[in-house]
Order: sequence, then structure tokens, then C-alpha cells
Amino acid sequence: MAEGFDIDHLAKLARLSLTAEEKALYSSQLSQILGHFQALANADLPATIDDARVVDEAALRSDEPGPVLGAEAVTRIAPASRDGQISVPRVVDDES
Amino acid sequence: MADALHTLSAAELGRRLAAGTLTSRALCEALIVRYQAVNDKVGAFTHLDQADVLAQADASDARRKAGQGRGPLEGIPVAIKDNIAVKGQPLTCSSKMLAPLVSPYDSHVAERLRAAGAILYGRLNMDEFAMGSSTENSALRKTFNPWDLARIPGGSSGGSAAALAAGLVPLSLGSDTGGSIRQPASHCGVVGLKPTYGLISRFGLVAFASSLDQIGPMARSVEDCELLLNALASADARDMTCFGPSDRALTPAGDAKQLRIGIPKGFLGKGVAPEVAAAVNAAVEFYRAQGCAISEVELPSADLAVPTYYVVATAEASSNLGRYDGVRYGHRSATAGTPVEMMTASRSEGFGPEVKRRILLGTFVLSAGYADAYYVRALRARAKIRAEYLAALAGVDVLLTPTVPTPAFKVGEKASDPLQLYLEDIFTIPANLAGLPAISVPCGKSGHLPVGFHLVGAPLSESKLLAAGRLFEAAHGYADQQAAL
Repeated sequence: MAEGFDIDHLAKLARLSLTAEEKALYSSQLSQILGHFQALANADLPATIDDARVVDEAALRSDEPGPVLGAEAVTRIAPASRDGQISVPRVVDDES
Repeated sequence: MADALHTLSAAELGRRLAAGTLTSRALCEALIVRYQAVNDKVGAFTHLDQADVLAQADASDARRKAGQGRGPLEGIPVAIKDNIAVKGQPLTCSSKMLAPLVSPYDSHVAERLRAAGAILYGRLNMDEFAMGSSTENSALRKTFNPWDLARIPGGSSGGSAAALAAGLVPLSLGSDTGGSIRQPASHCGVVGLKPTYGLISRFGLVAFASSLDQIGPMARSVEDCELLLNALASADARDMTCFGPSDRALTPAGDAKQLRIGIPKGFLGKGVAPEVAAAVNAAVEFYRAQGCAISEVELPSADLAVPTYYVVATAEASSNLGRYDGVRYGHRSATAGTPVEMMTASRSEGFGPEVKRRILLGTFVLSAGYADAYYVRALRARAKIRAEYLAALAGVDVLLTPTVPTPAFKVGEKASDPLQLYLEDIFTIPANLAGLPAISVPCGKSGHLPVGFHLVGAPLSESKLLAAGRLFEAAHGYADQQAAL
């Protein structure tokens, strides 16, 4: 089960930028950890995952408005804000 | 008397406050003196707003004077792990990703503590985002074991346990995803309880692995642990996994001397240090001498617990930590280009090595082509482990094991070997996978280092665990031991 993995692909999926040293270190450590997970591949396991849940999370609460933080509290903790809104890098190019 | 206040239990402090022989201000001032004397040595706290603490204490004293005291925790300080939100206090998860965030709201447990009149007393160090077993993964500071300052306090709630053992505070809150309350409690010689999944609301707890995370009480005695548990446990619709009012009645404790105690076969063998095994065996013999029925039980899939946990927990963590993108809160890289480059740079700069390792692992076990082999098989193993624990607990009241196989190790000793660190949690993980309550109770020493035993019970059997702990504690007096600092 502990097949090889592509550390560059994983980093891209996880939105992480890794140095060459980090790639080498994590590749080695993840290989070792995945080797330990081999016990799962060899185990006799039940066919379903129904009993894996420890509480019934199927019931949704009613969709009712509740208290919210408000723009002032939210923008106070944002990395950057302007005119009561969170500012982010430009998403759409000028030409588009 | 003031210089000894840091050694007293919350229950005793409560009695003195109620009798009028002590004020909350005098107590908090004494604890601040203690903080100034020893926190730099131990490193348990990452933040303490002394003026705010004294203002809360004065408000508590005024309530009591006006006959409006709110119960047994009125005026008692409770320190809080830095992943549980308290309005106006830092909420960093000991991570560069969140520091210096100040929480704009209270968690449910903070609301409960305020309603009980407790003093919300400072922020406690932890492994970054609760990922670790030694508190060495904190990006803010090191925490050391008060019993031996060259050793780790355990983790991830290392600050919560070390603060108690150092006499910095009488009560603390931790969170437990795979043993993060119980393992540091064992290493620091204090009591830590992970409640039944669903008993305490996680509203305001920063999510790590949502199907496993629980907030729980920590204290120097079982009695104090119960006092804090009683204040925290209540229904809360904001956490959809939290039991409603009609589903949360605890099983009565009964007579602790009549308990049926199961010893899982093989758990005291391979990998358990001889001194740990001796201390835990002595606890078993104590219970036998009290009249408890001791029997051996089978948990054949126990060896699957660690790999199952690290697949499930990292999968959930990789999803939960996706929210840290540098947009709404937390660290934003100054090298931002496009939105994706900004997110990638912010996450790469903000997260530490263990968090990155677990995000990568969780991303892998959920990725196309591997999810069935890893994540789905881990869920099937989790179902099997849970079924085996529930079957065992149908025949006995509690399962007794060591909390941790070995005593606290030296700082740095396992820092380069994540797999060895993961095995620290081998006895504590199954309770999280199965949603069961569990407690660590001090039961002796290995040399100068504390050792704890671990009790696991059926869902909502917290009262039985606490009664068993009280019986042991009353006969041994470990709650009165203090680390010399």
C-alpha cells in the first residue's frame, strides 16, 4: 500500500511551497510513516464505515439567523482591509 | 498564608473564598507573584494580562460581597490552552500563522466559565495547532516539565499540564484529539480528563480533527477535575456534535469499590518501561484489594489504532487547515503576487514543520487514487476498534492501562523522529477513535518523573472514571505533591 508519492504534486494540492531540503526531509519521513500504515492494508476490516461515527451528525440544525460578529470586528482581525471590507490581491487581470 | 496559596486545590480555595478568609484579588495577586517567579523557567504561559485578571478578581469579590456569587468556581482562576477562544485575549494556537490574533468572541466553555464566576487566567502554550506530544512544536516558546526542566511536559496541552504542576494556576483547560490532555497530565503528575465525544461544546475551539477533538478539564486532583467538568458540560446548538439536553445524563458513579476493571491483554508488555509497568500494576493491585473485580479483556485490533488515527486525524487536519489562506485572518505574506501565490506563500511562512508534515500526509491519504486505500480503510478500522472497545466495556466498567508507555523524555530527544513521537499516544488514541471518556490519574514515579494510569469507560461514564480516580487518590496523596522549582 505504501506506494511512492509525488511531493511536488502534494505540495501544490496543499498550497505549500517547499524548499529542496524540505522536500527531501518530508519525502523520507512520509515514506517511513506510510510504511507504518501498512498494518491497515493487511487487516481484516468490516465492509462498511457506518459504525465509525461516534455521534449522529446526520441531523442538521434549523437554518435560522443568529448573532454575527459584524464588519468592524471582522475587518479588525483581517490582514488588510479598506472601507469596511477585506482587501485581497487583484483576482481579475486588467485585460480580461 | 499568601505564599502557599499556589499549592492549594481549587476546592480548598473555593472553601476559603466562601468562608470569607480569602478574596479572589488576594489569590490572583499571589498567583501573579508565582507567575513572575517561575513562568520563565517553565514556559507554561504565553500570555497573562495581569490588569485584566485583577479586574476580573475585583468583580468576583464584589459579586460575592453582594450575595451574588455564582457557585464553586466563583473567583477561582482557570488558565486556558491557546486554541480556545476568549474574547479580547490572544488566540494563536502557538503558531506564527495566527499570532498576534486577538479573539473577537468567546468559546462556549469561556462563556460557561464566566457564568460560573471563574477568572479567565491567561493563555497556555501548546504544540502548534495541537499537533504534537511534547510542546516542542510551539512557534512561540519552549515549555519544560516542572519535575525536570531538561524534559518535555508532554503535549499538545503541555502548557496546561506544566502550569498545574508548577503551581501557576489551580485549574486549566486542554484539548484532546489523540491524548493531548492525558499524555501531558501523566508526564506532569496531574489529572486530565477527555470527556465523551459530544459532552462539551467545541464552539470556539480551533479545529484540528473534528471527529476526534474534545475540550477537557485538567487539575492537580480528581475532585478539582470534576468541579471544572461540571461547569463546562452543557448543551450548545452551535456545535452540531454536542449532545442535546435530553441526551447528556451521565451514568451514576456507583460504588467505586464495586467496579469491574478490565486489563487489556498485552498492554503492559512490549514497549512499556519497567517502572511504568510496576506503578500501573500497583494501581491494579490497589483496586483488587479494595474489592474491585479485575479481569483480562481482549482488544485484538489495538495495534491498528495508531495508523488509523494518523490517517483520520491528518486527513481532517488537511481539510480544516485549508481555511488559513491569508485572506480573512492570520498571517499574510508580504511577497504576495496572484491570490494563489499569496495563499501559498502565507501558508508556507505561517505553518511550522509538523503542521506542514501533517497537511502533506492528510492531503496524500485523501488524494485521488489513494483515498480508498488509506482514508476509507482507516474509517473501517475505526469502526472495528470502536466495536471492540464497546464490546469490552459491556463486560467491565472501565479499562485500565498506562497513560504513556514511558516517562517524559529529554527535550530534543525525539524531535527528528516523528513516528517515535506518534507512538507516545498508543494507549490514549483509541478513546478518541471510539468517542469514549478517559482520564489520566497520577500513580507513582519512575525515578523522579511522574507516571499516570489511564481509565477508559463507556460513553457518558465520566462519573465512574472520576469515582475510581478519587478512590485511588484518597489512598495515595499524589494530589498533594508539588514539583520543586
